Amino acid sequence: MEIKIGVYICECGPNIAEKIDIEKVINAISSLEDIAVVEKFSLLCSADGKKYLSEQIKKNKLTHLVIAACSPKEHEKTFMEVCEQGGINPFLFQMANIREQCAWVTEDKDEATKKAIRLIKAAIKRVGYHASLDKKMIESNPNVLIIGGGIAGMEASLQLASKDRKVFVVEKNDSLGGLVQNFEKSFDDMKLTSEILDKKIKQIETNENIKVFTNSEVAEAIGFFGNFEINIVSQSNETEPVTINVGAIVVATGSNLIDLTDNTQYGYKKLDNVLTSIDFEQMNLSGNITLKNGKKPKSVAIVHCVGRDEKGYCSEICCMYSLKFSRYLKDKIPSVAINHLYSDLCIPGKHHQNFYEETKTDKISFSRSSDIKITQKGEQLNLTYSDEKNKTTNLLADMVILSPAIAPTNDAAKIAAITGISRDEQGFFEEEHEKINPVSTSTDGIFIVGCAQGPKNIADSIVQSEAAAGKILSSLIPGKKLEPEIKTSHISESFCIGCKTCLTVCSYGAITFDETKKVSVVNEVICRGCGNCVAACPSGAAHSKHFNFNQLYQELKEAVE
Amino acid sequence: MNPLKATGVPAKSGVNKTIIDFLDKAVEKKVFDAVIVPMKTPAQDSYSYVLVKEKSLLKEDGVPLPPTMFIQGAKAVSSITRRGKPPMKIAAVMRPCEIRAAIEIAKLGQIDLENIFLISMDCPGVLPTSDFLKDPKKHEQLFEEAIQKNDDSIMRPVCQICDKSSMIAGDLHIGTVGTKKGTFLIISNTSKGENVLKELGYTLNESIESWQKKVTAISADKKKKRKKAHAELKSKVSGLKNLVETFSECINCHNCMRVCPVCICRLCYFDSDKVKHTADDYLSRAKSKGSMRFLPDTTLFQMGRMMHMSISCVSCGACEDACSMSIPVAQIFSMIADETQSVFDYVSGRSIDEPIPLVAYEKEELSSVEDAHD
Repeated sequence: MEIKIGVYICECGPNIAEKIDIEKVINAISSLEDIAVVEKFSLLCSADGKKYLSEQIKKNKLTHLVIAACSPKEHEKTFMEVCEQGGINPFLFQMANIREQCAWVTEDKDEATKKAIRLIKAAIKRVGYHASLDKKMIESNPNVLIIGGGIAGMEASLQLASKDRKVFVVEKNDSLGGLVQNFEKSFDDMKLTSEILDKKIKQIETNENIKVFTNSEVAEAIGFFGNFEINIVSQSNETEPVTINVGAIVVATGSNLIDLTDNTQYGYKKLDNVLTSIDFEQMNLSGNITLKNGKKPKSVAIVHCVGRDEKGYCSEICCMYSLKFSRYLKDKIPSVAINHLYSDLCIPGKHHQNFYEETKTDKISFSRSSDIKITQKGEQLNLTYSDEKNKTTNLLADMVILSPAIAPTNDAAKIAAITGISRDEQGFFEEEHEKINPVSTSTDGIFIVGCAQGPKNIADSIVQSEAAAGKILSSLIPGKKLEPEIKTSHISESFCIGCKTCLTVCSYGAITFDETKKVSVVNEVICRGCGNCVAACPSGAAHSKHFNFNQLYQELKEAVE
Repeated sequence: MNPLKATGVPAKSGVNKTIIDFLDKAVEKKVFDAVIVPMKTPAQDSYSYVLVKEKSLLKEDGVPLPPTMFIQGAKAVSSITRRGKPPMKIAAVMRPCEIRAAIEIAKLGQIDLENIFLISMDCPGVLPTSDFLKDPKKHEQLFEEAIQKNDDSIMRPVCQICDKSSMIAGDLHIGTVGTKKGTFLIISNTSKGENVLKELGYTLNESIESWQKKVTAISADKKKKRKKAHAELKSKVSGLKNLVETFSECINCHNCMRVCPVCICRLCYFDSDKVKHTADDYLSRAKSKGSMRFLPDTTLFQMGRMMHMSISCVSCGACEDACSMSIPVAQIFSMIADETQSVFDYVSGRSIDEPIPLVAYEKEELSSVEDAHD
């Protein structure tokens, strides 16, 4: 086939026109091999520009297109669409970035022009080695699996369920509700938690588009965004395993408190009347705050920041619920004296400071402390600690409530292994990006919400569930096919030595190992074309379809010639 | 890490006999089902690795410490286990550098070590193949004498500067230097090795102190020589001009790559179409350089190979032995390998638990790149 490359230079208003001698550029490249036409245009990304380009492609019967303009980050997609309108494959196109890389950064017009010529020549050379790549469309399943039936999981399921989208909730306990069902009231409105919970549970139970599996676990999750196959097993083994198909997964498996069993500092499980926050929530919920001997406590110490130093992070919510505990106590035992011992008080949020000020009374004190040690002293507990001035101080209390750090659940590692999502240093599931993709994971179609991702309060958990639901609703549309990445990697069967290096570097779980052939195989639906495997492959078997060796070599050679 | 434990065995008949006796006993008691060990070829003029189940054959022809290294042992073991672990227990008897190569490529899935027992010995070095072939009988004699006299001057140049000639990376090691008179040591390095010795009824109570002392001394001495030799070599080959000159004799036969135990690519990049260019390309290269020598890309090949495998190079010297143009490739590669490996505090083949640095995926490295763009 005859190659006819059209080169179009965008003036980008004055951006490029004033900084680069475009006529000189045109002269330098017009006579190059395979060049059919070289033109300039004032603003190629405008409606007029796009129309002009697609007409030019047809009129000049172009086979390849090179646009010299801005960064491909800005308009590559725009011009790829133009290619389609003009009737050529969008991958037979290359951009030369003469704005950000020349016009905007090179002061000297001559130098900028020279550089622009090089970049355009390199793009022309490269585009000749491009291959047509075809779009793939795959059927998708709109249904969603939610692992964990706590507040975050319930919220996500309610947001997502509709008549054309089934939601499956897998809960390991025998009922929905999660950690929150231990709470009498929620911070800071001090409303009954059961009211919110009961309402949500009822909504779920009456929603025919939500199916809940209690006492169940996900045993296997295979597939990719749009097409996951999930195997659910019942913990009691009473029922047969169930296989369901979904298009997305929301992991809402919540959190735990750190295990204090082996801790010697706080006397947990060794001394009577030393409770964790959850123990106390449950005791309070039972309506009966009492000591082991049945009496009501006259003094209670609440120890914040338990395990914070070892864990290396602030668990965000402990200060707030510890304040709430003061209210619980005051409501039920008005005469009780309460001492809060904290390392740092962390009470962010637009209403929360008020709550703290209102809680603080003469019978509720707050002391900054460190090196706390709890021992028995007669009927009471003795808390020895260093105060703010580093002075060793003693405090007697009938009851101690510990606010331990929030930690990942015990089965987090197992869930990570099953779903293929990664965990951070602390063991929480890791978001794709802390700021720009906080509920996505490195695996397309798997989302993390609530405390499974890190410590957070009820409101934030719900916000995350709504965010994940939004992501799923906008990308996994019933009846709409999905368009997977086209510029994927490929592993040559004859060059692969079967060292499995690529399997360890693939962040998307897109590579599997064929045990009979002893070679790695890329699943092109999952592959996002990041190129990790290409870089890591010690034997040159992996290559990237739109960034193959020859394309890069030709481009580079021309650029440095 | 398993602590080194040792048993003493009588040394009266030399290291070959001692190892053969040990293997014989182990096969007899079915601790091993088979042995892969260097054997004398029927023509009696060379050695090759033979997988043997027959005890009589082992006793007759087995030479665990042959005077040459025709084949790097790791390549032999790889041939057997490339497609998965063998269904029987095989003892592989090789020199320390061969074992290190085996461990190195096991990390890349080219050897399955599960049913393989790696057995090494203190290595006096090997003779260059070309020397040996001139007169095999004479050189067998010379090799024996060299061992007796602790003289490495006739060995491969890289053997003369090898500071890892007693490195234990495998399961068992036969210690012959610095031991009590009339005694050799069988030292276990792994629980796998220890179990073998226990199954054979050995008690592991022999001290390895004097052996270790001697090994440390030899290694320190060789390290000094190595440093000096590398420094001299460096002055001769560094800089593009010297490098091009050094490799100008290369005839592009790629023998060095083919015999290298850690060169594991199915198709070398330098044998592929990617380095075959059009006449036009060569003309423009000739034009820009003034002239161009053919065959092309010989220095590029050497440098490419260096980039690819210096981190895994075990300085065995197989490449230099195979070089028909007598280019000191092994010496150059050992020099580069020392430097690249030290960057990562890595010693190729030292331990199966140390991942190869260039293929170890460190997430932090990724975010450090990301952060650089923030």
